[in-house]
Amino acid sequence: MAQVVLKDVVKNYGNVYAVNHVSLTVEDGEFVALVGPSGCGKTTTLNLVAGLIPMSGGDVVIGDRIVTDLDPKDRDIAMVFQNYALYPNKTVYRNLAFPLQMRKLPKDEIDKKVQAAAKVLDITHLLERKPRELSGGQQQRVALGRALVRDPRVFLMDEPLSNLDAKLRVQMRSEIKRFHQDLHATVIYVTHDQLEAVTMADKMAVMNGGFLQQYDSPANVFANPVNMFVASFVGSPAMSLIPLAAVTRGTEVALTSPEGWELPLSPANARKALNAKSPKVVLGARHSTVKLHKSQVPGSVPGKVYTVEPTGDITFAQVFVSSAILNISLAPSVQIRPDEPVFIEFDQDKMHLFDGETEMALKAD
Amino acid sequence: MTSIPASIPAEAVRPTATRSIDWWRWGGRVFLVFLLIFTVLPMAWMLLTSIKTQFAALQYPPQWWPAEPTLQNYTRLLDPSGSIGKEFLLYFWNSFYVSLATTILGVAVAVPAAYAFSRFRFPGRTFLFFAVLLRNMFPAVVFLVPLFLLMRWLGLVNTHGSLILTYLTFGLPLSIWLLKGFFDNIPIQLEQAARIDGATRFQAFLLIVMPLSSPGIIATSIFSFIGAWNEYVYAYTFLSKQETMTLPVGIQRFFTEFATDWPGLMAATFMMSVPVVVLFLVLQKYFVRALTEGAVKH
Ligand SMILES: Nc1ncnc2c1ncn2[C@@H]1O[C@H](COP(=O)(O)OP(=O)(O)O)[C@@H](O)[C@H]1O
Ligand SMILES: [Mg+2]
Repeated sequence: MAQVVLKDVVKNYGNVYAVNHVSLTVEDGEFVALVGPSGCGKTTTLNLVAGLIPMSGGDVVIGDRIVTDLDPKDRDIAMVFQNYALYPNKTVYRNLAFPLQMRKLPKDEIDKKVQAAAKVLDITHLLERKPRELSGGQQQRVALGRALVRDPRVFLMDEPLSNLDAKLRVQMRSEIKRFHQDLHATVIYVTHDQLEAVTMADKMAVMNGGFLQQYDSPANVFANPVNMFVASFVGSPAMSLIPLAAVTRGTEVALTSPEGWELPLSPANARKALNAKSPKVVLGARHSTVKLHKSQVPGSVPGKVYTVEPTGDITFAQVFVSSAILNISLAPSVQIRPDEPVFIEFDQDKMHLFDGETEMALKAD
Repeated sequence: MTSIPASIPAEAVRPTATRSIDWWRWGGRVFLVFLLIFTVLPMAWMLLTSIKTQFAALQYPPQWWPAEPTLQNYTRLLDPSGSIGKEFLLYFWNSFYVSLATTILGVAVAVPAAYAFSRFRFPGRTFLFFAVLLRNMFPAVVFLVPLFLLMRWLGLVNTHGSLILTYLTFGLPLSIWLLKGFFDNIPIQLEQAARIDGATRFQAFLLIVMPLSSPGIIATSIFSFIGAWNEYVYAYTFLSKQETMTLPVGIQRFFTEFATDWPGLMAATFMMSVPVVVLFLVLQKYFVRALTEGAVKH
C-alpha cells in the first residue's frame, strides 16, 4: 500500500478543462472519496491516476515513484469500473486469473489466489460462469474480485455501486468499507452520491467544473463548507440558500429581503456579513437548524409552506422564504398545510453566510 | 392477513380483442415465396443441366428431368490428367489463391485501420474516414482504365498481384467501415481494465479486443473473399495469359473452344459456387451477428 499525491494535475480537451490544477494527497491506507456532480471531472481524474489517458500537466506520485510517464501496467494499481468491464468471453475464473497471468505467476499460485479471492467475495460457485450469466450484484463482486486478487498499491473505484439497486448498494457499501479496513488499503473512490462519500470515506474531495473545491473529512466538509457549491452539494436534503442584503443599523447589522423583512445578526455573524465584497450576502441553513412557528416570534421571518412530505419519523417541509425554498425537518406531530403562512427562526450559531458575489463562505476575522 | 373484499362494478364491460386477417403479413409471405422461386429456379436448372449429357441438354422441348443422369461432366472437370480438368483446376487454384491473398491482406490492413478510426482522435480523422468511403460512391468500372494504366506502369499486367491490389482497394472501404462499427461497440473500459491488469496496449488489443471482434473479422473476410472470387471485369482486362486466368474468366472458354458445352459449363459454374456456399453456411451465424451487432449501437 502506498501514498498517492496529485500535484497540479491538469487535463484539457482543447478549451475544455476536465481537470483544472488539482492537487491533493491521499495518505497510505486512507479511503478518499472523489465526489461531485456528473461531468465535473471525477472519472478523468481517476483515469489520470491510472495512466489511462495522457496528462496535460502536473505529476502523479504513487508511493516513492513519480508515475507520470509510466504505463498503467507499471503503476501497480487495481481499478473497478462503473460498468464493471468484465471480459465477456472469459469465465469468472479466467477474469480473476487474468491480472495474475499478465504478471506471469505460476499456475498453482494463480489458482490459490483466485480461489482465495473468490472465497472472500462468496463467488466460488460462480467461477465457471460467463459474466453475462451473472446478476448485476454478482458481476459487481467479480469486478471487485479482479481488483482484490493481487495486492496493488492503490485501489481505484469509479462509481462501482451506481448500477446496483438501492438495497444492494447499501450492502455493498458496507462490504467495501470492510475490505478497506481489513486490507488497510489505499482507496480512491469516485461517486456522484454525496451520501456514499460521507458514509464511506475518511476524507472527501469535492469537485466541480474540473476544480477541487474542498478536501477534508466528511464531518468538516459538512460543518464548514468553503463555498455555496459545497454547501448545497453535501447533505440531504440540501442546505437552503437565501440571497439577501446586509444593512447597517447603527451598531447592529441585519439582513434584509426584497420583501422588506429584516433579520438582525449576532455580533459574530455581523462581522462575517461586513466582510463581504458587496452588500449581497447569502444565508445558508440546514434543515435541522431552523425552527418553524405558526405565529411571529422575535427574530423570525415570514414564509409560506410549499410542500409537506411525511416520511414516518420525520416530516420534511419546503417553505418559501423570500425568493428561495427552505428545507425544514419537523416532528411528525406538527400539523401544517400547503400555502399556510408560517414564521421561521434561524439558529445564529449554526447559520452559514456566503459572499453573494464570490460565493465563498464568509469568515468573522 | 385479512383479505379486503372487492367486487367488480355491475356496469363494467369486458371488451374482447378483435383480430382481423393481417393482409400485409400475407402479402409479404407471397412476395417472399415469389422471390425464393425467382432465385432458386435458375440454380436448380443449372444443377439439372450439369448432370445431363450434351445431347439431352440441347433437346427441344427440354427434358425437365434428365433421363439418364450422369456425373461425367464433373469427373471430366476434376480429372487432372485430362486437358479440360487440368485447365479447370488451374483456374480454380488461381481464383482461390487470388481470393485468399486478397482476404488475408485485406484483414491485415482493415483491422488496424478500423481500430485506429474507432479509438484514436487524430488530425484529419473524419476526412480520411470519408475519403475511404468515397471510393464506394463510384461504380467499379469507372476505375478500369486508370487502374489498367497504373498496373501497366507498375509492370503488373498479367500477374495476380494486379488483381489482388485492385480487389483490396475495392474491398477495404466496406471492411474498414464494418469493423469500425464492431470496435465502436466494444467498451473502451475493457481495454483499460486489461491495461491496468498488466497488459500492454497491444496485448489488450490482441487478447481482449480481437477475440470479441472475431464475428466482425469473419464477416469481413467472407465479404472480401466472395468479392474477389466472383469478380470478372478486372480479371478479364488485366489477365490475358491463359495460365494466370481466374475462374470467372476461364469458364468463358467453355463457350468458345468447346462449342458451348452447356452441361460442362453448368458443372463448372456449380463447382465455382461451392466454396462460397460452404463458406457462407459454415460462418453464417457470425455473419448475421456482424451485420446486426456491428451496425446497431447498444
Ligand atoms: N475524450 C473527451 N473529449 C472531450 N471532452 C471530454 C472527454 N472526456 C471527458 N470530457 C469532458 O470532461 C468533463 C469531465 O468528464 P468526466 O471526468 O467523465 O466527468 P465525471 O465527473 O462525470 O466522471 C466533461 O465535461 C466531459 O465532457
Ligand atoms: Mg464518471
